[in-house]
Amino acid sequence: MLKIKNLKATINEKLILKGLDLDVKPGEVHAIMGPNGSGKSTLANVLSGKNGYETEGEIYFNGTNLNDLKIEERAQKGIFLAFQYPLEIPGVNTNNFLKTSLNSVRKARGQKELDTLTFLKLIKEKAKELNIDEKFLSRQLNVGFSGGEKKKNEILQMKLLEPKLSILDETDSGLDIDALRIVADGVNSYKNKENAFLIITHYQRLLDYIKPDFIHVLSAGKIIKTGNADLGEQLEKTGYANLS
Amino acid sequence: MKHSYDFNIEQIKNLSLEEKTFRQKNLDLFYKSGFPSKKVEDWKFTDLDVILNKNFESISNEINFKPDEKLEIIKNFKHNYIFLINGKIISTSFVYEEKNKILIKDFDQKEAANFYLANTLTLLNSALSSGGFSLEISKNYKLNKPLVIYNYFSKGLKNKILNNKNSIKLHKGAELILIDYNAGELQNNFIKNTVDTVSLDESAILKSILIQNSKSNGHFYKYIRSSLESSSNYENYILSSGLKFNKIEIEVNLNKDNSSCGIYSALNLLEDQHQEIKTRINHNSPNCKSYQKIKNVLNDKSKGVYQGKIFVKKIAQKTDAYQLSKALIVNDDAEFDAKPELEIYADDVKCSHGSTSGSIDSDAVHYLMTRGIPKKKAVKLLINGFLNEILENITINELKFFLEKILERQINGH
Repeated sequence: MLKIKNLKATINEKLILKGLDLDVKPGEVHAIMGPNGSGKSTLANVLSGKNGYETEGEIYFNGTNLNDLKIEERAQKGIFLAFQYPLEIPGVNTNNFLKTSLNSVRKARGQKELDTLTFLKLIKEKAKELNIDEKFLSRQLNVGFSGGEKKKNEILQMKLLEPKLSILDETDSGLDIDALRIVADGVNSYKNKENAFLIITHYQRLLDYIKPDFIHVLSAGKIIKTGNADLGEQLEKTGYANLS
Repeated sequence: MKHSYDFNIEQIKNLSLEEKTFRQKNLDLFYKSGFPSKKVEDWKFTDLDVILNKNFESISNEINFKPDEKLEIIKNFKHNYIFLINGKIISTSFVYEEKNKILIKDFDQKEAANFYLANTLTLLNSALSSGGFSLEISKNYKLNKPLVIYNYFSKGLKNKILNNKNSIKLHKGAELILIDYNAGELQNNFIKNTVDTVSLDESAILKSILIQNSKSNGHFYKYIRSSLESSSNYENYILSSGLKFNKIEIEVNLNKDNSSCGIYSALNLLEDQHQEIKTRINHNSPNCKSYQKIKNVLNDKSKGVYQGKIFVKKIAQKTDAYQLSKALIVNDDAEFDAKPELEIYADDVKCSHGSTSGSIDSDAVHYLMTRGIPKKKAVKLLINGFLNEILENITINELKFFLEKILERQINGH
């Protein structure tokens, strides 16, 4: 599904990713762990198409070169990035945003756009699954939401847009244990044989709830070690410093 | 300057000799200085003389028209209405109201002599005005539905100027929502020069909403002079995006205790459109409130201007005055000018003002795009979010929904 070969990324003349390889197949959950400044968020940003990065190397998503796709096309084709810091957007109503987003994606996928009533019914269902209070949906997007509410809102968007590849960028940061469980349940209930996850995290904590098939350790812009779920527990004990 | 004017008082019907003399005197005064240019302080950001020179070969007031326009009313929105063509009443409908509570008639031109002359445009208006309406709402009568004033314009208005005067009076305790609605396709270059007087008796409430329904080459100027008695409330909403040129001057006189006013505008200017809002709030009495929120989005080569003055008389203690202008500049070629002014003679007042301008938040655009929303749509969503804030105090759902739709259309460039 996602094939990355020798990816290098530079921002402000600083080389962050220094030749990264990754192969994600449908049905797999990959975790990327690593210390601060190792390039985890850069990887997420580059995959989402954020401006300002110069890249080298190859990224293929289901056979399409990602460089040929605009930001919104990546989303329409099934890449979803849950932000580490979801933006507060004053004035923009959450429901209106969600509907515009869903219908843009549906339109691009050749599906019928939803009318307001059908949409509201759908979004209420999805919100309930994530224990999101309906009144958040009529508020301005993320404005005054707590950290946990913002992250739950990201997962709500993921479930709404039904991506093939979901990238969760430090989704566990700022979550209390209850919110963490809800978010993890949301991810687990969406997981199936057709879709894949790339989970970027500092800590083992989230991986206790979402079991990864592979754990990659990113350090100084390169993957230096790959293992199964046990690697996470090992890292928790020994830290990143002892890896070579 | 280089204008070729052909202003003719003779063609205005049924004028007494006295009226003709009065009008000629005003016309002579107008000729002395012509249309306002940037040399006049109040017009420093809007050189009307230059704008008219650029867009008009000649200007005349001779207008003959037959009321053959197709008049359409807004659907799915219950309302009373008045149809005007070129400012003259064509028909009225008040099916939702008690008819004897509402007085609507042609403006009596003899009243023109009592109008305040603010500048050379109002002078010209006093020389040439015809048509117009006067509206009175009886004591304690609260209209059940909004009143829409449809402004239609006849064909063949190229290089013409229309001059209207209107008067609106709400007696004690009366309430009205008035929607001033510029309708119809307006391809021709023409000028509309309007002077309104608004008078609110004790505890009367007037919500006045200005809407531009379609893109227009019209050049509009409006001077509104209002006076408020105790505990009355006057709110103005300005949604006039689409006009090539528009300047609205609102003078509010808070003459008695506890009267209050609000001025809210949401403009999305495109191409070379130019709109100015100029306000003067006179706090003439204690315990009055004024609130202004002016929001502009400037696209392409458009220009927006806000000049807002709050004047507080010495006796007007406990004044609460607020003024905020926010501009979103989408294109580097666009321009926004703001000139806030406070002139305060009382010592126990709360007055605040602020003015900001900035560009679209690129991180917000990115965020929306990562959710599959194309860039253009993302920008429009943000513009909408920026502008629709001014509707937050509208509590009538039906009206709010209607205005949201209007705003959305204006953001999409009609």
